[in-house]
Amino acid sequence: MATPAIRMFRKLEGLFCVYKPSGVHWKLVRDSIETNLLKGLNAAPSQPLPREVRLLAQPRHESEASKGLTVSAVSVPVLSKHPLVTGPEFQHIRVGVGHRLDTFSSGVLVLAVGNGNKALNDFYTTRVTRDYTLEAEFGTATDNFTNTGRVVERSTYDHITQDKLERVLSMLEGVNQKTLLTYSNIDMRSQEAYELAAQGLLGPEGKSTPILTGLRCIRFQPPNFTLEVQCLNETQKYLRKIVHEIGLELRSTAVCNGVRRTRDGLFTLQDALIHHHWTAADVMQAIQLYHSTKKNKKRSKATNKTSALQTSEDNITETQQSEINEGVAR
Amino acid sequence: MAFSYVRLCPRHMRAGLQVCWYATLSKASRPQEKSGSDPVFQYVGQHKKPTHKVFVWGFSFTGALGIPTFVVPDSGRKKPRKYQLTPYRLETAEQISSAACGYGFTLIASPSKDVTKLWGMGLNKDSQLGFQRTQHDRHKSYDYVLEPSPVALPLVEPLQTRVVQVACGRAHSLVLTDREGVFSMGNNAYGQCGRRIVEDEVYSGSHIIHKIESFSSRVIQVACGQDHSLFLTETGKVFACGWGADGQTGQCASHMNSPRHLPLKGCGKVVQAACGGTQVAILNDKGEVFVWGYGILGKGPKLSESSTPEMIPPTLFGRSEFNPSGVVSRIRCGLSHFAAVTDRGELFVWGKNVRGCLGIGKKDDQYFPWRVTVPGQVVDVACGVDHMVALAKSLL
Repeated sequence: MATPAIRMFRKLEGLFCVYKPSGVHWKLVRDSIETNLLKGLNAAPSQPLPREVRLLAQPRHESEASKGLTVSAVSVPVLSKHPLVTGPEFQHIRVGVGHRLDTFSSGVLVLAVGNGNKALNDFYTTRVTRDYTLEAEFGTATDNFTNTGRVVERSTYDHITQDKLERVLSMLEGVNQKTLLTYSNIDMRSQEAYELAAQGLLGPEGKSTPILTGLRCIRFQPPNFTLEVQCLNETQKYLRKIVHEIGLELRSTAVCNGVRRTRDGLFTLQDALIHHHWTAADVMQAIQLYHSTKKNKKRSKATNKTSALQTSEDNITETQQSEINEGVAR
Repeated sequence: MAFSYVRLCPRHMRAGLQVCWYATLSKASRPQEKSGSDPVFQYVGQHKKPTHKVFVWGFSFTGALGIPTFVVPDSGRKKPRKYQLTPYRLETAEQISSAACGYGFTLIASPSKDVTKLWGMGLNKDSQLGFQRTQHDRHKSYDYVLEPSPVALPLVEPLQTRVVQVACGRAHSLVLTDREGVFSMGNNAYGQCGRRIVEDEVYSGSHIIHKIESFSSRVIQVACGQDHSLFLTETGKVFACGWGADGQTGQCASHMNSPRHLPLKGCGKVVQAACGGTQVAILNDKGEVFVWGYGILGKGPKLSESSTPEMIPPTLFGRSEFNPSGVVSRIRCGLSHFAAVTDRGELFVWGKNVRGCLGIGKKDDQYFPWRVTVPGQVVDVACGVDHMVALAKSLL
């Protein structure tokens, strides 16, 4: 018999994303989400206690004590099912974390509850890109590439113009595009490799070195500048190292002031829950939204597929079509 | 800090400075010291100009790469390097503005007005690099020049004339100057040097550098085929000389004997054209590349010949949603391969990889445009049969 708590838990199974603030370990975020969800689940109204009929001995007067036992049927609640005896209904729920964010970074962190963890596995294996915004500053080099580290060197930066920065960024993009092609395991001499490369779909499957599929400067006010990065298989430390290397290429030095993930797959900053909303009700709402968008996507993908079969004669496979959809819907 | 303790609480400091203790702040909580005592390094100033560099790759045993240690190693332990599969820096004394690759030899020229403005390296069996006097014998010339060696042009005003362009064919070369016209040297068996053909002429060790005179107006561009030469004058006239049996010079009555306008539909306004052995590539004003001919054309292994122009998808030249303008600015052809330079300074090559001439790090043929990793922004590229030369400038 499904209790209200169990029904609520079923509605909670799925994927959602939170905004992880910087300076907080991702495990603390996951633990606090789990605690809040447990609080919400256990606060659900409990089932009324079942009652059973027990034959209880009646209190007798002393004068009739020797004549025998008389019992009467009484309906009593079953105390062994009382929540104070059994404990709360949910003591542990599986909350899984998607691509991790280290302590210095902030941004979108995807979490999954219950059966949604299976979807997390697929999330890892499909080739899904992530968007970051990197705040950086010229003039200093530190040992951990951030402004909180020990200063290793200071240098001038007045020779840096936006044009020179763009040149360095396009050089880095070119290198990364070449890495993208090199790490795909398809034979370069085949027609398939040419067709995938012409559509821009050639890329590594599974693990590879971090690759930046897109890099551009969105703000340049020396000494500060902001980069927007789209990447695959990255770590946040690698992104801070990229900022450091950009400083070196420009014959100066640079440190990263902040790393913020703005998109992870299809989850964007718009959908991320902030600290105030880390309660069971808001999480349930976010998961319902995720399920409904998934249904809409499936419906639109089905109509796209039928029209593609009717009109064009190219043979893109279904996973690549879904990747195109992901790229379009981002 | 110990002094302040001594002053403030003298009663506690009995044993003097031996008892001093202090708390060390951990690394994370130590405040950032923006003190002026740290030195600030300046690596470049505001007016730094980019450095110009030359990169070479391909087959090195002819000396065409200009690096003698590839052919004759300086240490007994090292082995000669026959194929240079990735770009290698060629150190030059001056900035190089123009380069050309022939069949096993290279000519590079600088825009300076010095006496030495033209260097050659590689095969010199037909004196295509001029007379290169040997060390031991004044009358003999080197057959293989392993290092960029100056070519002495017979200029009337050597300190005023500049070399504008160089071009190389199979065994001859042409040098275009700004004031004194065109000079040619090398094999003249078919008249490709623009002078009278001499029966049984010995070209090896020849001192002849001929100045070609019979032009109606000033020559602004020269081009060399395998055994023929073409000259474009400023009035728009084209002159040709050399082997013309297949109609290269537009004179003989075989195939096409006069230039014919090609109505290339869908190609837009053509701004550049380049020819290889059996294939042609053109570039239009939007930066799109069209190819046709026979061989590896650049659209995968299935397309091996085409009689109509085929466009190569711009995504292969780096156009993406982050970089919507992956525009090709220059296109060149070698004998069986192509090279394209984008406006961002990236070099893409494709075609038959003859002895590592593509520079992609492997000896396999490349069926679609592939980026070559050149440290710098590529300005121009010259393609030969089995080697290539790229002129680049540094990013800053």
